Amino acid sequence: MIEFSHVFKRYPGEYDALKDLNFKIERGEMVFVTGHSGAGKTTLLKLISAIERPTRGQALVNGRNVGRLAPRRVPYFRRDIGIVFQNYRLLFDRSVYDNVALPLVVAGLEPREIGKRVRAALDKVGLLSKERLNPIVLSGGEQQRVGIARAIVHRPSLLLADEPTGNLDIVLSEGILDLFLDFNAHGVTVVIATHDQRLIRRAGKRMLVLKHGELVHDSLGPADILQ
Amino acid sequence: MIRFLRAYLRRHAYALRVTVSQLLRAPLSTLMTIGVIGITLALPTGLYLLIANLERMSAGLDAGGQISLFLKRDVPESAAQRLAERIARMRAVERVEYISREQALAEFKRLSGFGEALNLLDRNPLPSVITVYPTRTSRPEAVEALLRDLRAIDAVESAQLDLDWVRRLHALLALGERVVLILAGLLGLAVLLTVGNTVRLAILNRREEIEVMKLMGGTNAFIRRPFLYSGVLQGLLGAAAAWLVIALVLALLEGPIAELAALYGSDARIQGLSPGATGYLLGAGALLGWLGSRISVGRHLRSIEPN
Repeated sequence: MIEFSHVFKRYPGEYDALKDLNFKIERGEMVFVTGHSGAGKTTLLKLISAIERPTRGQALVNGRNVGRLAPRRVPYFRRDIGIVFQNYRLLFDRSVYDNVALPLVVAGLEPREIGKRVRAALDKVGLLSKERLNPIVLSGGEQQRVGIARAIVHRPSLLLADEPTGNLDIVLSEGILDLFLDFNAHGVTVVIATHDQRLIRRAGKRMLVLKHGELVHDSLGPADILQ
Repeated sequence: MIRFLRAYLRRHAYALRVTVSQLLRAPLSTLMTIGVIGITLALPTGLYLLIANLERMSAGLDAGGQISLFLKRDVPESAAQRLAERIARMRAVERVEYISREQALAEFKRLSGFGEALNLLDRNPLPSVITVYPTRTSRPEAVEALLRDLRAIDAVESAQLDLDWVRRLHALLALGERVVLILAGLLGLAVLLTVGNTVRLAILNRREEIEVMKLMGGTNAFIRRPFLYSGVLQGLLGAAAAWLVIALVLALLEGPIAELAALYGSDARIQGLSPGATGYLLGAGALLGWLGSRISVGRHLRSIEPN
C-alpha cells in the first residue's frame, strides 16, 4: 500500500525534515507514526497524501509514485484517501450533513447515493441525530467524529490521521481509537501520527518512531516483541 | 456516457446552487457589485442610444442634399427632358426636377428683381437645370459617386452639390460612434476589474473551504466553477441593472423631449433599446463577468494549496 525507499524531504532553506526513510506498509495494516514534535510525523503524512513531494527517493502510495504525480492527477489520487485532521477542518458555513457529503459531492455522486452514504457514515460515528446542526455547536469530540465520518464516507482504502486525538481527553480519545480499529478490521489501511503513547499501547499495533526526521524504530507490533 | 453526462450536469447544478446561496448570503455586497456594474454598463449603453437616435432622426432629414445639374446651352429642350427622365431612373436617385431655360428665366425675374434689365438681353442667358434628389438613405460616399457619374454626362455643363452640412453631421455621428466604442472598451475593462476583484475577495474569504475541497479530491475545475458562475451571474444581473437605469432615464426624459420636439413641429421620440441591443447588453455583461472571474480565479486559485 505504501512503500518508501530512501525518501528525503527538505523544505526550502531548512534542515532535512525527513532523512533516508525506508519502510513498507501492507494493505490492511494499521500503523502508528510517533516521535517528538518536529520529528517529521506530519511531513510523512503530507508526503503520503501528495500535499508535499519528496525531495529525493521514491514514495509509492497505492501503486502511484507521489513524486511523479501530475498535478491534475492529484485530486483523483486523493479520492482513495481519507484524511483526519487534528483541528478537524470542518466548514462552519454548512450543516454536519453537508460537511460529510463533501467528498461525495466533489466526486459527482448521485444525491440519493450521497444521502445513503452520509447517513451510514454519521451512524457509524454515532452522530446521525445531529446531521442538520451546524458543526460549530458540537463539542470537540463530536466535531472530530464529523471529521472522521467525512474521511470515510467515500470508502477510501487508506485512512490518514494527524494527531486525531490531540485536542481530546482520554475517554473521547479511546472512542476515536475504537473507530479507527473498527475501520481497520473492515480492511481499511490506517496510518495515525500521534505522540499519545497510551493510545498506541492500547491499540497494540505496529509503530514507526521518528527522531529528527529519521526512522529510528519500527516495531512490528507486540506479538513480535514477545518473540 | 449517459452516466458521465449526468454526473457532469449534477456538478454544474451543484455549482449553481452554491453560487446562488453564496450571493444571497451577502446580499448587500452582491447588490453593490451589481449596482456598480449596472452603472458602468449604463454609461456606454446610454451614449450608444443617443447616437442611434440622432442617426435615426438625421436620416429623416434630407441627408443626401441635392445636386443641381446645369446643362449646356445648346442642348435642345426635348433632349434635356429625356435626360431628366433617364437620370430619374438611376440608382440612388429619389426624384428629379426639371427646370427649362424659360422657367429658369421666369423664376429669376420674379426672385431677383432684375426683370427689366433682363429684358434688354436679346437671348436667355440661363441654362436649363435638372435638380437631382438622391435617395434619403444614401451615404455621402454614394452621393459623391452619383455626382461623379452625373458630371460625366455630355450634356452637363457643371454639377453642384452642397454636401458640407451633411458631411459634418455624418462626421460628428461617426465621431460619436467611435467615442461610444472607446468608452465601451474602457468601461468593459472596469467591469472586468470589478468582477475580478469581487471574485478575488470571495476566494480569499473561502480559502479554508478551497483547501479542504482540494484535500477531499476536488479538481480545480470543480472548485473554480462556483466562482465562474458567480462572475457570470453578477455580470448578467449588472447588465439587467444597466437596462433598468436606461429605461428609468428614458422615462424621465420622455416628457421634456416630446415638448422640445413639439416646439420644432416634430413628433420625434427617443427610442429605447431594441430586443437585439438588449440581448447584446446582457450577453456582454455575462461575458465580461465570466472573463473577469476566469482571470481572477486562474490567478488566485493556484496560490491556494493545502499545507
